[in-house]
Amino acid sequence: MNARQPTTSLPPVVGAYRVIPLIQEGASASVHSAVAGAEIQESLGLPGALVENWHDKAIERLGQLVKQRRGLRVFLDTCTRCGACTDKCHYFLGTHDPKNMPVARQDLMRSVYRRYFTVVGRYLPWLVGARDLDESMLDDWYTYFHQCSECRRCTVYCPKGIDTSEVTMAGREILASIGLGQQYSQEIISKVRRVGNNLGMKPRALADVLENLEEDILDETGVAVRLPLDDEGADMLVVTPSADFFAEPHVDGLIGYAKVLHQAGIRWTFSSTAAEAANFALFSGHHGHLRELAMRIRLAAMDLSVSRITIGECGHAWRVAYSFLDTLVGPLDFLQPGHTRAEHICEVTHQLWCSGVITLDPQRNAGKVVSFHDSCNVARGASMGDRPDGQFTIPRALLAASVPRVVEMSADTTRQKTFCCGGGGGVLTDEMMEVRIKGALPRAQALQAVVRSDQVTHLATICAICKTQLSTVLPQHDLAGVQVTSLHHLVGDALLLS
Amino acid sequence: MPDYPSLPVVSDALIGGLLSAAVAWLLLATLWRMIQWALTPSPLPIVLAPAPRTRAGVLGRLLLELFVFRSLARASMITWLASLAFHYGLLLVLVVHLRFLIVPLPLWLLLFVRVSTWAASFLVLGLAVLLIRRVLIDRLRYISTPSDYLHLLLLLGIALSGAGLKYLWPVDLFATSQFLRGALSFNWQPLPDNAGLWLHLALVILLLLIFPVSKLLHGFGILFSPTFNQRDPNR
Repeated sequence: MNARQPTTSLPPVVGAYRVIPLIQEGASASVHSAVAGAEIQESLGLPGALVENWHDKAIERLGQLVKQRRGLRVFLDTCTRCGACTDKCHYFLGTHDPKNMPVARQDLMRSVYRRYFTVVGRYLPWLVGARDLDESMLDDWYTYFHQCSECRRCTVYCPKGIDTSEVTMAGREILASIGLGQQYSQEIISKVRRVGNNLGMKPRALADVLENLEEDILDETGVAVRLPLDDEGADMLVVTPSADFFAEPHVDGLIGYAKVLHQAGIRWTFSSTAAEAANFALFSGHHGHLRELAMRIRLAAMDLSVSRITIGECGHAWRVAYSFLDTLVGPLDFLQPGHTRAEHICEVTHQLWCSGVITLDPQRNAGKVVSFHDSCNVARGASMGDRPDGQFTIPRALLAASVPRVVEMSADTTRQKTFCCGGGGGVLTDEMMEVRIKGALPRAQALQAVVRSDQVTHLATICAICKTQLSTVLPQHDLAGVQVTSLHHLVGDALLLS
Repeated sequence: MPDYPSLPVVSDALIGGLLSAAVAWLLLATLWRMIQWALTPSPLPIVLAPAPRTRAGVLGRLLLELFVFRSLARASMITWLASLAFHYGLLLVLVVHLRFLIVPLPLWLLLFVRVSTWAASFLVLGLAVLLIRRVLIDRLRYISTPSDYLHLLLLLGIALSGAGLKYLWPVDLFATSQFLRGALSFNWQPLPDNAGLWLHLALVILLLLIFPVSKLLHGFGILFSPTFNQRDPNR
């Protein structure tokens, strides 16, 4: 997650509210995610440039993946092109490019799969829309597989349960394997492998940042709240997206976690080797890297002999921690009974609040009218607490306890049906700004509606990408007056601290 | 009389045999596709949250998707209604076809036979709406391949030729029954001499042949869809 400001200045995108656009072919064909340089690719054991026999290599890899991933195979086989998903993707609604309709995005791979791996596609390609993997198709793969934020909103509406993110992840993995990795994700994965976090921040620098934050909190509140690093003997390891250490508005959320844990008297620590919750291998689709990055968390927890692991506010990190961690790195059976899976900071805070260990006073946030943006990976890729819909109810319970007034956005844009912020899945780069701004349109429209009707002042969320993306692009949607904030910023401000 | 089959016997067996082979292909190829899916590993849990935490919950989710098309209902009311009309119309019409297989006609089946006109109307209406929206809506036109239209036209052809047999070109029900029962028990009987029936049967055989190797298999795909059939990873 980088907090760089937009380098391009585009006119505001203010579309008519929830109108399904007519398709406009090629509308976003010119927006390309930067291709990873040779050095980065090679550091990950991948070819540094497009290999000569890319066609055969790509087909070979596709053949392997459909044999290794049931989801991918079933999804490629069962789409009926019923069109249920065609008006559900924020990138289609924002760009009007038909290849951003989920089914059309999948069809980029499905048509090639049919051509090379099905009898009908081999002999009667025109009949079933089977296509060769030629240069123009390769170009479309790279362009449109990187204009997907893998948010899985389309899956909610698909009568076959087809998950476009499985297709785009596989597509990106194939592209990287023939030399076309994506700069943003691959560079970050490479940094995490070398240094331990997305920013490539060395332990000494991280310790300085944490010390400065401790001073800030002391100045502001008069209470000595600690932000420990590599504290052996701590009970709880907190792993958070590295944007929380320095970016606005993320850092206020980090201060919020620290205040809550301080008040609860929990001895906790960050780890310099796992100072990153984010796992960009989910975006690049490489299961080997996914496992490697997840393993750091297990190893850090074992090194520090903690009994609990807590994940900070990060959407896809929470999906990886909640849904994949056991499978990727084995069961976390060395943790304390009752806490044998990684816990979300919202779950931890919610338990403390419910059991009366901490007290929240909404009047400390007087004047704030807050709406909550559900982050896609939390909403559709994970859960929290004891209820299947805990990922919706727990953050909302904390929000309601921390601010005087909460206003929900339209129900078809929240909870399971939430719209992506427009920057997820590895799209959060400067060169993608046009697509990012347009992709935020549906969320912005729903927000505009509650700003008009209820004078909403703040938009709270629990994902580092959402925070960076929304604070960057909402001004482009005439929403500069709404402050994007971390949920734990509001919690931290409402907390009675002593 | 010469002791070899005469020409009509050969051709009767040919048509009956073709139907037998098509049914066998349908069953075996569909089974093969499902075995292929079942044998493909599912490395990471990718269920769509909020996910059921019990097996009964998963079963409920699958039943809702299979029989009520729940996700489609969220997506588009018109497509949902048209799909329900088409699929349930087809199901009822298929049940009515049991009259050719179960002799004598049981009483319960008579109830279905009496609503067969309604069933056929829903079937045709549903298909017509699905076809019209595929032609009219620009997004649907963009994603449709020739096979998407042809599947609908094939099903419409089967439904309309079947309706023709009922209302325009009356067919010998007993002889048709004998032909069908013969084909399913490898004791092939002649097909009644009715051009409408020949057309209907030819289209049905075509449908049986393409079913396992086309998107028409999607109903079985739902059962194997990891976003539907998995439990919450931390149940």
